[in-house]
Amino acid sequence: MILQMGWRNIWRNKRRTAVILTAVIIGVWSMIFLGALMRGFSDRMRQNGIATLTGHLQVHRAGFRNDPVIENRITSPAAVLDALEILPEGARWTPRIRVNAVAGNARHSAGITLVGIDPGREAAVSFIGDAVRQGRYLQQEDPLGIVVGEAFVRKFETRLGNKLVLMSQDANGEIASRAFRIVGIFDAELESTEKQFGFVHIAASRKMLGVGDDICEVAVLLPSHRQVEAAAESLRQRLPEDTYTVETWKDLLPIVRETLEIYDVFIFIWFLAVFIAMGFGLVNTILMAVFERIREFGLMRSLGMLPRLVVVEVLAESFFLLVLGMAAGNLIGLLSVWALSVNGIDLSAFSAGMEFAGMSRIIFPVLVARDIFTANATVFLMGLAVSLYPAVKAARINPVEAMARP
Amino acid sequence: MKLSRAFAAAMLAIGIFSWVCSADEGKEARTLVEAAVKYYRGDASVSRVRMTIHRPDWEREMTIKAWTLGKKYSLFYITDPPKDEGNGTLKRGTDMWTYNPKVNRVIKLPPSMMSQAWMGSDFSNNDLAKSDSIIDDYDHRMVAEKSVDGKKVYVVESMPKPMAPVIWGMQKLHIREDHIMLRQEFYDEEMELVKAMTGEQIEMLGGKKFPRIWRMQKADVEGEYTQLEYLELEFKESLPQSLFTVSSLRNPGRM
Repeated sequence: MILQMGWRNIWRNKRRTAVILTAVIIGVWSMIFLGALMRGFSDRMRQNGIATLTGHLQVHRAGFRNDPVIENRITSPAAVLDALEILPEGARWTPRIRVNAVAGNARHSAGITLVGIDPGREAAVSFIGDAVRQGRYLQQEDPLGIVVGEAFVRKFETRLGNKLVLMSQDANGEIASRAFRIVGIFDAELESTEKQFGFVHIAASRKMLGVGDDICEVAVLLPSHRQVEAAAESLRQRLPEDTYTVETWKDLLPIVRETLEIYDVFIFIWFLAVFIAMGFGLVNTILMAVFERIREFGLMRSLGMLPRLVVVEVLAESFFLLVLGMAAGNLIGLLSVWALSVNGIDLSAFSAGMEFAGMSRIIFPVLVARDIFTANATVFLMGLAVSLYPAVKAARINPVEAMARP
Repeated sequence: MKLSRAFAAAMLAIGIFSWVCSADEGKEARTLVEAAVKYYRGDASVSRVRMTIHRPDWEREMTIKAWTLGKKYSLFYITDPPKDEGNGTLKRGTDMWTYNPKVNRVIKLPPSMMSQAWMGSDFSNNDLAKSDSIIDDYDHRMVAEKSVDGKKVYVVESMPKPMAPVIWGMQKLHIREDHIMLRQEFYDEEMELVKAMTGEQIEMLGGKKFPRIWRMQKADVEGEYTQLEYLELEFKESLPQSLFTVSSLRNPGRM
């Protein structure tokens, strides 16, 4: 009966209800939609970070991360590769040589990161496997081939099939140089990635640097990012701590990690800000509705309605407003996310400014159940909580005074 | 001297003959290039060179004292202007060190600096460190023969060997019949000229005919070049190896 009264009451002033419903709808929609966008940003950033040669885990010789020179390579790779057996089912790993080198042709020279990869294994771990747009990816036997980025090729005014001379310090501290031919050109999300990396076969890089069968790092990709900490811990137990360091992507990409954490807080602050704006509107509406009907509440009280029930009646009005608004807001939010998830939002125009943090050129919104739940719970619970004020006010109406009003 | 030149010319003539008759052109061209490199380098040399770095809006001159021994060792240091005096470069094989008296430090050039300009000139460190690579890293082919001032000049096209770590797509050498290198052209892989070094004003220097002026000019920028002018040049039979050490790089004044 009380619920029915509440439902009918909100439709007595249709315009006011429509206005406050719009406010709730826009509030909920913006929480869901912008939340999803921000998740899209941060997810993409994490995925980019992990795919750009980071993986979920990496194993290095202790000291390599502070001073990534060839002297700090892993000199007994067999021990490390054995330890990788304890990784969970479905985990993929790849060994790499990774050193700073100078690439040069007749007209240009620039520093790059020379990455020696096992073509088959690498493709399963990082982005390079399906990033080659022109030419071809490295083959199992590829002593001369190098794969470089599109932006690099533009900068160097070179093309497929041309020569590139790489120089780096070899294992004996001498200058090693070797000629490679550009066999493939890759595209990456970030232009900086395209300029930074040159991929050659691991055997070619080992020969150039004179390091036998040694490696610089092992990158591991796990089936799910929830397994990262456990896998890292078990690897740490297998590998002596003073010789090897095992790090997760959170250690390897501190900027991404920090940004993700900031985003978590930022989403919550956003929810709160939207709610505060919406909450004042709601309180105002209900308060107006209560003051308009002082005589009516006085009558109900005189007829013997308990103050408790008056509170419930007013809350019921607020409840219906909130539920209607949330339902419509969620629906519109989901629809707009769905509409954008096909093509994403193209930020290429601003991408130069975004790249610093490893953001993509195209953002796809990502829905996270927890965000939707938080948004709705915030609106619903806090909405009811702020409505308590007008409800209690209505319950405290003195029937005699109220009835005496004109 | 005269005899050896005649002998070399005779060798060349035989070489040319065999190139025409057989397909042994590569070997013959290589011999010529080797001879030219040996000619301009000598066994050992001491020289004083004025280097002029010319740009459209400024020009800089410095005087350099240089010692070379064979193809492996060389040592240069700046004697003038006083601001740069004492700056030195030592080359042993393909390794290079530089010394700056202001900070009193010897730096072994890392790979990243090898392709940078030497002392701000149009020569790169690599041009100095790898000056021998022209002999071993390339396949040579005689492509033309012309006559300049009554002397024969051979044009040799040198294509880098497939695995050779050289950045050029091709080098073209103009070598006079008496083994004087008149011009060395550097091409990129599209076979476009990148830069060229020219020898001019051939006269008697250090007991043999030698271009007094060497000029390195980039092809696509007008008015930018680096010029080396020999003020003194003396060829020697040998120099002590102990001269080409890091400690003499620090104290070039001793010599």
